[in-house]
Amino acid sequence: MADSGDWRPPRPCETYRAEWKLCRSAGHFLHHYYVHGERPACKQWLRDLASCREWEERRSAEAQQSLCESERARVQAAQKHTLVWALRQRPPADWHLPLSQEKDK
Amino acid sequence: MAGAGDERGPGPAAGGQQQRQRRLGACQVCPEQLAEGRPQQGLFSSFLSHNQKCQLMLLKTLETNPYVKLLLDAMKHSGCAVNKERHFSCEDCSGNVSGGFDASSCQIVLCQNNIRNQAHMNRVVTHELIHAFDHCRAHVNWFTNVRHLACSEVRAANLSGDCSLVNEIFRLHFGLKRHHQTCVRDRAILSILAVRNVSKEIAEKAVDEVFESCFNDHEPFGRIPHNQTYARYAHRDFQNRDRYYSNI
Repeated sequence: MADSGDWRPPRPCETYRAEWKLCRSAGHFLHHYYVHGERPACKQWLRDLASCREWEERRSAEAQQSLCESERARVQAAQKHTLVWALRQRPPADWHLPLSQEKDK
Repeated sequence: MAGAGDERGPGPAAGGQQQRQRRLGACQVCPEQLAEGRPQQGLFSSFLSHNQKCQLMLLKTLETNPYVKLLLDAMKHSGCAVNKERHFSCEDCSGNVSGGFDASSCQIVLCQNNIRNQAHMNRVVTHELIHAFDHCRAHVNWFTNVRHLACSEVRAANLSGDCSLVNEIFRLHFGLKRHHQTCVRDRAILSILAVRNVSKEIAEKAVDEVFESCFNDHEPFGRIPHNQTYARYAHRDFQNRDRYYSNI
């Protein structure tokens, strides 16, 4: 977590509101059910929106901590699966090279 | 180049007099071309060659489609800035292939004789850019490791809109609860069989082994983009990533 003096919510408050509204929409219910076979859980977006607004109004330390914990949990959930491949340290060396004139292989 | 010498599969060929067999690392098969909607009509388009139509549709995709714009930004951030003339090629292809990613030349092949409308172009470019993104960020052994190929195909089918509810209905595949996952699995297997001389059992086994991990790898979107709204939100989050990671 960044130094408290420089800290601000990871996302603008309007983004939390937009995500909550999208999550609660009928279209998202349908998409989520189509993919996961269950209804979506949207309450955390609403909690995060409340925390964001509380921090903006009162610079609440509890709100800051709540937001950080919530977002760290999202990051951990996204990274919990072991990758099938090894990540590169550098992009492929031939990405920007001109196409070879020799096409037949 | 690594890999077996007896590769088969439709593969695109350069148009005109000279046959040029590409070895595609990954590709998108599209046997349901008719379900993609009617080809573009109109007096103007009837004067254009397949190649010209392909180029025009590609340009529109690159400039306007939110899925593609996010992928292009993510690839630039990873050191693989995409140049339209260098990294895309509109060609005639044999078979039912819509496009492919040629890992040996780092080029996306678009099958100009099989891509018939803008929505299809959007989806093919998204699909192949996901392969290109994987090639850029990871050591993907396209030709020697069928699990790596399977993983990229699962991701491409999952994240490109290939398996949206609407597209599946057009294919007359009716299902709702968790049907998306069934579609992703089936289309990944089809794509593997199109570019690799392996049995269906081997393709199925590879997809099943990697599915849990690769289905849940949503990079660079951070979510499954079900439509352009989700893709725009994902792009917004990508552009906000510095603020995000410095404040959690």
